[in-house]
Amino acid sequence: MVQEKKRKLKVFDYFYEAEEQFSGGLAWCAGCTLELAARFVPKVLGKDIILVGCPGCSAPVFYGQNRGAWHRMAYFSSLMTGVASSATGISRYYRKIGKDVTVVCFTGDGCSADIGFQPLSGAAERNEKIIYITYDNEGYMNTGYQRSSTTPLGASTSTTPVGTASQGKLTPAKNVPLLMAMHGAVYAATATLSHLEDFAKKLQKAKEKVHEGFVYIHIFAPCVMGWRFATDQSIEVCRMAVRTNYFPLWEAEDGKFSLNLEVANPKPIQEFIKLVRKFSHMQEADITGFQQMVDQRYAIIKKLCEVIK
Amino acid sequence: MSIKHNPIFPCEGAWSDGNGHLLCLDTGSWRVDRPILDKQGCNYCGLCALYCPPQCLKDMGDHFEPDLDFCKGCGICARECPRKVISMVPEGEFDDISSKGKS
Amino acid sequence: MTLAQKGKVRVITGNSAAAYGAMLCRPDVATSYPITPMSEVAEQLSTFRSNGLTDTEMVEVEGENSAMNVVLGASMAGGRVFTATSSWGLSFMYDAVQHASGYRAPIVMVIANRESPGILAVSGGQQDIISVRDTGWIQVIVEEGQEILDMVIMAFRLAEDYDIQLPVMVNYDGFYLSYMATAVEIPEQRDVDQFLSVLKQQPRRQTLEPGRALGCGTHGIDLGFVELRYRQCMAMERVTTKLDDIDREFSEYFGRSYGGQIEEYRTDGAEIIIVTSGGAAGTTRVVVDSKREEGIKVGLVKLRLFRPFPRKRLAEVLKGRKAIGVIDRSVGFGWNSGPMYMELRAITPEIGIIPMLSYIDGLANLDITIPHIERVVDEVHNAAQGKPYQEVTWIPLEE
Repeated sequence: MVQEKKRKLKVFDYFYEAEEQFSGGLAWCAGCTLELAARFVPKVLGKDIILVGCPGCSAPVFYGQNRGAWHRMAYFSSLMTGVASSATGISRYYRKIGKDVTVVCFTGDGCSADIGFQPLSGAAERNEKIIYITYDNEGYMNTGYQRSSTTPLGASTSTTPVGTASQGKLTPAKNVPLLMAMHGAVYAATATLSHLEDFAKKLQKAKEKVHEGFVYIHIFAPCVMGWRFATDQSIEVCRMAVRTNYFPLWEAEDGKFSLNLEVANPKPIQEFIKLVRKFSHMQEADITGFQQMVDQRYAIIKKLCEVIK
Repeated sequence: MSIKHNPIFPCEGAWSDGNGHLLCLDTGSWRVDRPILDKQGCNYCGLCALYCPPQCLKDMGDHFEPDLDFCKGCGICARECPRKVISMVPEGEFDDISSKGKS
Repeated sequence: MTLAQKGKVRVITGNSAAAYGAMLCRPDVATSYPITPMSEVAEQLSTFRSNGLTDTEMVEVEGENSAMNVVLGASMAGGRVFTATSSWGLSFMYDAVQHASGYRAPIVMVIANRESPGILAVSGGQQDIISVRDTGWIQVIVEEGQEILDMVIMAFRLAEDYDIQLPVMVNYDGFYLSYMATAVEIPEQRDVDQFLSVLKQQPRRQTLEPGRALGCGTHGIDLGFVELRYRQCMAMERVTTKLDDIDREFSEYFGRSYGGQIEEYRTDGAEIIIVTSGGAAGTTRVVVDSKREEGIKVGLVKLRLFRPFPRKRLAEVLKGRKAIGVIDRSVGFGWNSGPMYMELRAITPEIGIIPMLSYIDGLANLDITIPHIERVVDEVHNAAQGKPYQEVTWIPLEE
């Protein structure tokens, strides 16, 4: 017998468009956080956005096949080197003719942090009125899980494998959301799929702030295949990343930083590491180093929150 | 020389059209385990529907049911259910064929 | 008697002429990243904007790759767009250049030609034209300042024509034309508006429509891919006659004609023809005149349209001649001769086997001088009379 009818979590209140914009059967892996994120975005931002994407895990769904399409939104498929720049052109044209159109870039970390970083940086510096969303699965997943510059230190990938001479990636990850906040973006934020109400609020904020300038949202989107965890663990991995302060949820509005969730008793990083087999080779010394790095990165964000009151 | 087949594109340039029928994969056929809900224990919180990546949990008014045409069997709904009333049961234990297009 | 009013004559550089031409066509979005020798184009456009002479959205991009991507996005959203670059910048935007033609974006780009990367050179040459000949863009090469301005206007007319929908590169000699100031007649704004207004009467090309599920840049699968590629080639095919038509329209309207795909000079009764392009054509005219005085029946074909290659018109004008000399301002790796020479050899079935001589000159700002061209005419004349000749000559190395 049902005890109590609890209905409509607050997150549903943020949905501008409840109707599904994508087809039912899409070629994303079972348990894929990108699928959850992609289907979520038009629900809050609306279906009238112009999506700009590039090759990567999103491309097989965002792009059509000959005349056929997998979704009902207008999109522009860009080169990996030209996402933020082609979005700039689209945005500038519509503004010139007086049309209020939201241009949304949606790419992986491979584009944002690496091959597409230059135009992203340029667009941010020029304060172009676009929303740039990165789904960070910490690697070039679509081409076979190669490392990217957001792959964390020590992680095993197909180009930083574990062998006798070296074990995993030798350098730490770039902190892309922080970099973008430092460009002077009018709004920069981190989000993940375990905290959907926070994600929804940030998308709504993005929709408003894009009228003033450049908006950047960085989503932590674990990859079932590349990171190696069971398909049902996706949300748990996101949640643990937040609870260990590996991926703190923060935002910077007009340069003012704030933590959306201050975890009272952050869990030790082992709780995150043990969930994901790309770290399974790590020794105690590596884990200690990893913990220090996590603490340091969190401390920087915490301090930035105090800098401007 | 002219094109012998019926032109695929109605205009110059590589434009896709999502205004009519959308492309769709038979993702239901990927499934190895099927989510089964114990309706008695469900309090209709909606977390399963929220966290389902293919968004295939349908609102039945007092509980949610997976659309078996598209459920990939990832198990996130079972894992995230706060009341643990969803269990993932191997497909082999069912008589019905759940995928689209099959009898 | 022309339809247009006589415009103001100003003494301006080639770069400036390009900027004026662009401004008169009222592009919605324009970008340009500075690179010697065309930085002035960007500066001039920005100056126009800051003085309120244009409301073009100027985007100061951080690199040439973005310069092309920005105008590509704006073009597919429905805007008229313009950009400018040279050699190294062109190389940097190479992926976007290919993307633009595949997307059938009617972008107009001026290129102040300079030697391409490989050997560091801050000097003129046509290697950059050659480096992008298979990107699917229309390529036109002009000879002097007035032609730059006029061709930019014609380029918008050509690119945006519903039957074409292909991007256009207007090439002019970097360092020579880019910096040289000459008297240029600048048409009146309303005349340019009128000349381009015919485009408004044509059907609209497909562009992004916010709220409508149309995707720009779908995967080309199997026959879909082949069909798209074929349509692009067929549009290229239509460019040849279309350029001649537009040149005629322009001539009727503004009183200046450039011949369309090629310009012939004193080809009537010519036994030998010199083929060249760009500023060198001007010098060649002087030599043709003086050699004609000496009794050598020589004519000039100035190659304006390089892509698509004007094979029909070239076959018509070159058939029946006794020998041909081609002066290239670039190098064609593969045959280790001039690239335009290589392409001309491909029309041999239409014109018959006659001596064709390749001359490589004018690399790295070394002038193509009157004595050089006189030598070319003499050698081609000798070849026409059956005397032995050298197939490929690198003129600077044989001085």
